[in-house]
Amino acid sequence: MDQVSDDELDHGAEEDSDKEDQDLDKMFGAWLGELDKLTQSLDDGRPQKALQKPPLRQETNMANFSYRFSMYNINEALNQGDTVDLDALMADLCSIEQELNTIGKPNSSSRSQGQAKQRAPGGRSASTNVNTRPVASNFSLDDITAQLEKASLSMDEAARQTSTGSVGTVSEQEAPSQRSSVNSACASASSMDSLDIDKVLKGGEAEGQSAPNAQGQGQTSTEHVTLRRANGKTARRQLDFTSGEREVDHEEQAAKLKAEKIRVALEKIKEAQVKKLVIRVHMSDESSKTMMVDERQSVRQVLDSLLDKSHCGYSPDWSLVETINELQMERIFEDHENLVENLLNWTRDSHNKLMFIERIEKYALFKNPQNYLLGRKETSEMADRNKEALLEECFCGSSVSVPEIEGVLWLKEDGKKSWKKRYFLLRASGIYYVPKGKAKASRDLVCFLQLDHVNVYYGQDYRSKYKAPTDYCLALKHPQIQKKSQYIKYLCCDDVRTLHQWVNGIRIAKYGKQLYMNYQEAMKRTEAAYDWSSLSTSSIRSGSSSASIPESQSNHSGQSDSGVDTGSSHGRSQSVVSSIFSEAWKRGTQMEENTKVLVLLVDNNCCGRGGKKSSCKNTRTASFV
Amino acid sequence: MAVWDLSVIVEDLGVDAPPLTIGVTSDLHIGGVILKLVEKTQIKRDWSDHALWWEQKQQWLLRTAWTLEKCGIHADARLVFMPQHKPLRLGLPNGITLRLRASFSSPVFHTVLEICKMLNIRHPEELSLLRPLEEKKKKKDKDSVEEIYDLTEVPLTSVSQPCLYNGMPAHFADSPKTEAVYKMLSVTLQPPAPEAIAKLYRPASVVDKAHINSRWLDSSRSLMQQGIRDNDRLWLRFKYFAFHDMEPKYDAVRLTQLYEQARWSILLEDIDCTEEEMMLFGALQYHISKVSQSEPQMLTSSAAMDDLESALQCLEVKMEGESSSASEMLENMTAPVLNDYLKIFRPKRLTLKGYKQYWFKFQDTSISYFKSKEESIGEPIQQINLKGCEVAPDVNVAAQKFLIRLLIPAPEGMNEVYLRCENEQQYAQWMAACRLASKGKTLADSSFQSEIESIRTFLAMQKTNSGSQGNAPTDDSINTHSLVSPRYHKKYKAKQLTPRILEAYQNVAQLSLTDALMRFLQIWQALPDFGISYVVVRFKGSRKDEVLGIAPNRLIRIDLGVGDVVKTWRYNNMRQWNVNWDIRQVAIEFDGNVNIAFSCVTADCKIVHEFIGGYIFMSTRSREKGNTLNEELFHKLTGGHEAL
Repeated sequence: MDQVSDDELDHGAEEDSDKEDQDLDKMFGAWLGELDKLTQSLDDGRPQKALQKPPLRQETNMANFSYRFSMYNINEALNQGDTVDLDALMADLCSIEQELNTIGKPNSSSRSQGQAKQRAPGGRSASTNVNTRPVASNFSLDDITAQLEKASLSMDEAARQTSTGSVGTVSEQEAPSQRSSVNSACASASSMDSLDIDKVLKGGEAEGQSAPNAQGQGQTSTEHVTLRRANGKTARRQLDFTSGEREVDHEEQAAKLKAEKIRVALEKIKEAQVKKLVIRVHMSDESSKTMMVDERQSVRQVLDSLLDKSHCGYSPDWSLVETINELQMERIFEDHENLVENLLNWTRDSHNKLMFIERIEKYALFKNPQNYLLGRKETSEMADRNKEALLEECFCGSSVSVPEIEGVLWLKEDGKKSWKKRYFLLRASGIYYVPKGKAKASRDLVCFLQLDHVNVYYGQDYRSKYKAPTDYCLALKHPQIQKKSQYIKYLCCDDVRTLHQWVNGIRIAKYGKQLYMNYQEAMKRTEAAYDWSSLSTSSIRSGSSSASIPESQSNHSGQSDSGVDTGSSHGRSQSVVSSIFSEAWKRGTQMEENTKVLVLLVDNNCCGRGGKKSSCKNTRTASFV
Repeated sequence: MAVWDLSVIVEDLGVDAPPLTIGVTSDLHIGGVILKLVEKTQIKRDWSDHALWWEQKQQWLLRTAWTLEKCGIHADARLVFMPQHKPLRLGLPNGITLRLRASFSSPVFHTVLEICKMLNIRHPEELSLLRPLEEKKKKKDKDSVEEIYDLTEVPLTSVSQPCLYNGMPAHFADSPKTEAVYKMLSVTLQPPAPEAIAKLYRPASVVDKAHINSRWLDSSRSLMQQGIRDNDRLWLRFKYFAFHDMEPKYDAVRLTQLYEQARWSILLEDIDCTEEEMMLFGALQYHISKVSQSEPQMLTSSAAMDDLESALQCLEVKMEGESSSASEMLENMTAPVLNDYLKIFRPKRLTLKGYKQYWFKFQDTSISYFKSKEESIGEPIQQINLKGCEVAPDVNVAAQKFLIRLLIPAPEGMNEVYLRCENEQQYAQWMAACRLASKGKTLADSSFQSEIESIRTFLAMQKTNSGSQGNAPTDDSINTHSLVSPRYHKKYKAKQLTPRILEAYQNVAQLSLTDALMRFLQIWQALPDFGISYVVVRFKGSRKDEVLGIAPNRLIRIDLGVGDVVKTWRYNNMRQWNVNWDIRQVAIEFDGNVNIAFSCVTADCKIVHEFIGGYIFMSTRSREKGNTLNEELFHKLTGGHEAL
């Protein structure tokens, strides 16, 4: 199928053969760029959110970075969101870039060369380093990256040519200049960094190194590949005149090859779009640890690496607990949840904390299922054999049976500090209550809340905060809500047992079998830890810590943000800066213990789309105290 | 030994034919009797399925080695020589009647086993036969000559091999007629007409629900013994609600029939659910009927490949399009973008402002809006990212109201935003985009077009419903009343119901047929009252009737007056149970010296005994596949004194 379409494309190009070579080239580029854009948007739209936010807060220990003078300035400019400032700072670099642009215009292939050259230094610092990672992708990948790169550039150009509106012109002229300036800035910044990087490399700290490495590879190869391609094209054009038949064959093959390349490239692009977050985890003893997590890591994986680092002995009860100080509530993250996704819900000025702590509530449900699953009022003992059977029955059937929990709870009235009694029931489809004057027949129940969009939190000290009748409170809210809101529902139980029953019942209704699988997984780890500890402790540590280092891979050419989008190039330049900056910054903070800790996002690969407005809202820069 | 005359009626000779008389001695074994009979008839045919039935004693003489004396047969015995397999009219869970040959001589448990083998239903132990409800004969009911699917021609011997042919068991692939039967068995039926639902019997109380359980046949005795004659009607139903090893790959018929039984139990209010759940059931039924019509065979491909393919396909389409100019092409190639004038309204306290029109732009997962189209190049007035938001429809086709309600999470709480569209087309596009965006997908996602399509068909449904009644409904339009129980027919008009079902529908619209079926069954199984079979009993020492609920894992004592659960006993804690057949009382002992005893009011205590034993049996099935069914154990657990 792919060949056919590729074929047609080529035929179409041949028909108007009076057109210039670069027209064909441009179209190719445009299509590839488009394809790239599509894949990026397929990637659930996260990347563009990422780049929109200013990468860092200003209050970071600037002294640390004084020697990275130029970069700091860029960052400041970006944070202010003032593009003119940036231009002013980098005026001379801009002019060089613009010169190159104008030269490049008449011939697109030479232009892309120029661009490639321009951009290549972006990864220079990396390319000077020895690449320790095995290079799985060979020439074909490089070729594609080059093509995609070129595609984006020709898109830029095409957009410039087609733009008509006056506003559009202004912004589009601005865009390339911004980018070029930042690129060159990066070059200088990272070259200054290179010493630093080497040092760290020796120290064995490999995190994030791979990112610039991969970048450098892709981009240095861009140069010669582009050249080669340009040559190939002219050669083919000569063929045109001699034999049409063979041409088709050749093109079919080429199309096939190209389709395959595109496929490989797309996969690589996806792989490369991984966000990383530096987090501070608080321990029970008031100390804290800083670590990096990538967006693919589950809570379980993060817990594992924390356990390895902290030597605190393995127990399934170790939990990551999110505490929202402002709302006085907390929640134990479930093991299967994605940590980064949850942390991204925090606002930038958030006082939320992430705790690494042992909590027996986490899996109490599975240790004494009889107290949670049977809907009994009193705690009781049960033989282990029966417990297992009960869990099996509840979680391993064709559907998970939600425990029948019902009873009178206090419900906080919206906006008031008064609490009303209601008879609540838990069902798989949500929480219901019995309306006044009705029996509790299913058909008459009123839906209080469906559980798809909310998480359940333990409330802390609501007696004084909200005049709750008891201290056994739970809250239900959308994870993104971080401040007081009428959309947060508060419930209050008469005793702690009821509270735990409800919280666990809601967890079962929400997560079902996953919860049990989490528990089994945690138990498996515990057992494994015991087994290993008798043999050699070091071997486990090294084994799992290598897994804890997020694999970072960057493929900058995959961005190919189309110039059609006005905000895009701006965004991209930010991300380039942010990735390099954050590397450096991270190293800085690791040396400096007392600094205020930031969460920052290292986005290796962003495509730029979307406006600035949401960029502020979606800021990933949240701080911990 | 003295020779005496034994007269035997041979059924195959006709009703009016006189009995054949043969000379026998008391030490002649049954096999010998049959041999003599066959010789006497002088008919050459396969008699292997025939056996002797002793009418007075209501029992089969199946042990051919036993002598007449041992059986206790004398000259006055009325014996009938007839085939063991006879045609039976079988009502399936989907309401269709099937005619097939079933064994009238083996225990019902085994008969069901054979039937299920023929119908390609795995785990037949979960099903059983029951006597149907007597239908009230209405005089004008003459036109309802029900269609009967005939499977009596299928040779019994061919059923044994389970190999598939053309996606169905070989014995179905023989003729177009049997192929049609298989299709009926394995494809869900269209929703019934609302009037049809209303006409059917609905249990109004727990006691009503208890009565159905008095109709189950005894698994340890044969059909003949229980008074069932050839061409009688019986229902085949799932009896034990412990569904083992559900595998869509092999369970096409099982899954479909289970779905049908579940669907009817909900439509007929056999099992209670909340309004929200009813709407979701309705939405799933709609979706299942729609999907099963359009794609009987579904393709499964990994999501990742899907993404890639759609991207490539998109590219292809773009390339195929004849290009006139580079700029125009570029226009076409950008990721799909929605642009239009819409009206927006943000409900806030104390605001009287109405809807305001802006130029809206949908890109990726965000909506941005501008004062006008001309200003859309600059900064938007606002940009809203819809990822993770809740999307609810508010539509009334008749009133031309097309509203999208968005509930967008933000750190400060949820922001409510209403978008008002002008027409159906616009609404379908924007609604689809919003729904995809809420799941983090963009317009470039492959499901965008199908999403639009499903919204439009649903809207079309509302249109036909609200339209004049005189119009003959088209094939693909479904009355929303046929998706919910009659209670909601009264509570809501069809046009009120549609938006509510539509709301639930958005969460299931992208499911494949199998996934939708499984989801329906899961939600059904998650209902609190799921799987409880009721029997009215009288507990020992109690003066009033109470209800015993028998669930897959527990027994429940329910107060008849209030309907409250009084006490729950789990099988896990059960030590033993026994039945005193003389006083017909069931006694159960649980851990910790808990003893209960009750007599059964609505059903025979054998039925209760069989339920409990049956569930114990179901729990003994191992997880490993391919285990043969332990028939002996089943009879041990359920047979009672007859098994001994």
